[in-house]
Amino acid sequence: MSLLMEILSPGFLLRNAFYGGLIIGFVAPLVGVYLVGRRMVFLGVALPQVSTAGVAGAFFWHALFHEHALHEGDFGLALAGSTVFTLAAILGLAVWESRSRARAEEQTGVLYAFAGALSLLLVASDRIAEIGILGLLKGEIIAIPTGELLVLAVGYAAIVAALWFFKKDLLLVSADRDLARSFGKNVLAWDVVLYLIIGTTISLGVLLVGPLVMFGFLIVPPLIAGRLVTGIRHLPLAASLFGGLAAFAGFAIAYRLDWPLGPTDVALVCVLLALVVTAQTAIGWLRRT
Amino acid sequence: MAGALVSFQDVTLGYDGTPVLEGLSLDVRPGDCLALLGPNGCGKSTILKTMAGIVPPLRGTVRSTFDGRPVRFGYVPQQETLDLAFPMTAAEVVEMGTYGGLPAGRRPRRAERERALECLEQVGAAELRGRLFHTLSGGQKQRALVARALATEPDLLLLDEPLSGIDAPTAAAILALLGRLNREQGLTILLVTHHLGAVREVVREAIWVHGGKLLRGPASTMLAPERVRTIIEEDFLS
Repeated sequence: MSLLMEILSPGFLLRNAFYGGLIIGFVAPLVGVYLVGRRMVFLGVALPQVSTAGVAGAFFWHALFHEHALHEGDFGLALAGSTVFTLAAILGLAVWESRSRARAEEQTGVLYAFAGALSLLLVASDRIAEIGILGLLKGEIIAIPTGELLVLAVGYAAIVAALWFFKKDLLLVSADRDLARSFGKNVLAWDVVLYLIIGTTISLGVLLVGPLVMFGFLIVPPLIAGRLVTGIRHLPLAASLFGGLAAFAGFAIAYRLDWPLGPTDVALVCVLLALVVTAQTAIGWLRRT
Repeated sequence: MAGALVSFQDVTLGYDGTPVLEGLSLDVRPGDCLALLGPNGCGKSTILKTMAGIVPPLRGTVRSTFDGRPVRFGYVPQQETLDLAFPMTAAEVVEMGTYGGLPAGRRPRRAERERALECLEQVGAAELRGRLFHTLSGGQKQRALVARALATEPDLLLLDEPLSGIDAPTAAAILALLGRLNREQGLTILLVTHHLGAVREVVREAIWVHGGKLLRGPASTMLAPERVRTIIEEDFLS
C-alpha cells in the first residue's frame, strides 16, 4: 500500500515514466487490435524497430551538423526522424506489396533486419548517441521530460479519438475489403488513415519506451483480450484495460525490485497471456474428462 | 435498358488489365431470380464482383442506378474467401451489413444492432447471434452471410456459390429461403452456382457463361438435362 501511495504521490521522482508507461499501456493495445486482426503482427515488430532507426537517423543527422550531443531540446528532431522513417516504411511496404510477388512476412522480416542493423550503424561513431539508442532498445524508461510526456498525451488522445470515431470504417476495410468496396468505400484511403494511426502511435511511443515495450503493448494485450472476450465490440476496451493494468503493475514491480521497467512490463504481459492460455487449456481438459 | 437494376453494355471484365470476359451485355431487372452458371474460372465471380463495384470493368459501361438512386447490393462472398481474423460474433458480422448506409464517423447504434438481429431471425439463425463467426459450420456461416447481405436492405442480392461446402438439407433450406425472398418480398436475386439440379426449382432464368459469351433463357430450357450436357461437352472439348 505504501508503495502505491509513493508511486501515486505528486512529487514522485519517476512520475513521468510511470504516466508515460500507463498512457502507452492503455492506448497501444487499441491500435494493436487492428494489427492482430489484419494478421500484421510482424509489422508490429518491424515498425518499432524502424522507428528506432529513425531516432538513430536523427542522432546521426544532428552529429553531422552540431558539435554537442542530442539533448532534451532536440526531441522534435528525434520525433521527426522516428515519424519520417515509420511512415516511409509503411508506404514502401505498401508499394512493394502491390508490385512484388514476395509474401508480406518476407518483406517485413527484411525490413526488421535492415532497421535493426541501420539503427546500430547510424550511431556507431557517436558514443553518446549509441548509449541513448541502446537504452531505447533495452526499454530503459527512467527520465521522460514533462514536455515529451505532454506530446505523447496529446498525440495519443488524438489517436483514441480517431479510433473511436472511425471504428466502424476501419473495422469494415480491415475485416472485409470486398464488402467495403461494394459499399463504395475508398479502401485505399481508409488504409492510409489506419496506417497513419499505426505509424503515429509507434513513432511517438518508441521515442519514450523503445521498440521492445512498444511491440509488447501493441500485440500481447489484444491477444489476451481475444481469448477472454467474445466479439469485437468490447475487445478494444478489454485489450486497453489489460495493457494499462499491466503497465501499472509492471511499474510497481520494477520499482520495488529495481528491475528495468521495459523488460518487466513486457515479461508481465507475456506471463499474463501464458496464465490465460494455461487456465483455458486446463478448463477445457477438465470439461472433457 | 430502361428499368434495369444493373446494365452491362459491351463490358470487358478482368484483373490488372488482363481480360477475363469481353464484350458482355446483360440486364438484371427488378424481381429477376437468376442463376449464373459455367465451368470454374470462366468469370462468373468476376461478373458478380463487377456488378457489386468490387472489381472495376476494364472497358464498357456498367450502370447501376434505379429510380434515380444508386442500386444497393447485398453481396454474399464465397465462404472460403472470407477470412475473418477479427473475433466477431455472428450478430456483429451481420451488423457490418448496415455500415454501408452510415456516413463516415457515425458509429452503429441500437437501430443497426436491432436490424442485424431481425435479419438473423429472417434467415432462421437468431440462435447464432452470440456465437463467434469462425466457429460456425459452413451452413450456419452461409445463413449469417445471407443475413448480412439482407441487412444492407438490398435492391439486388448477389450470391457467389452460396451452396458450396454445405450439406444437401442445408442447401435446400438456403434455396427455399432465397425463393421465398424473391416471391414474397420481390427481392432481385442473382446467384452463382454449380448445383444445377438444386436451383432448377428456385430460379426463373439461367445464364450460362459459355465460350466467352452469355447464354440466357428460362430455367426450364437452360437447365434441361440435354442442354446442360451439350454445353458441358462443348466447354470440355474447347
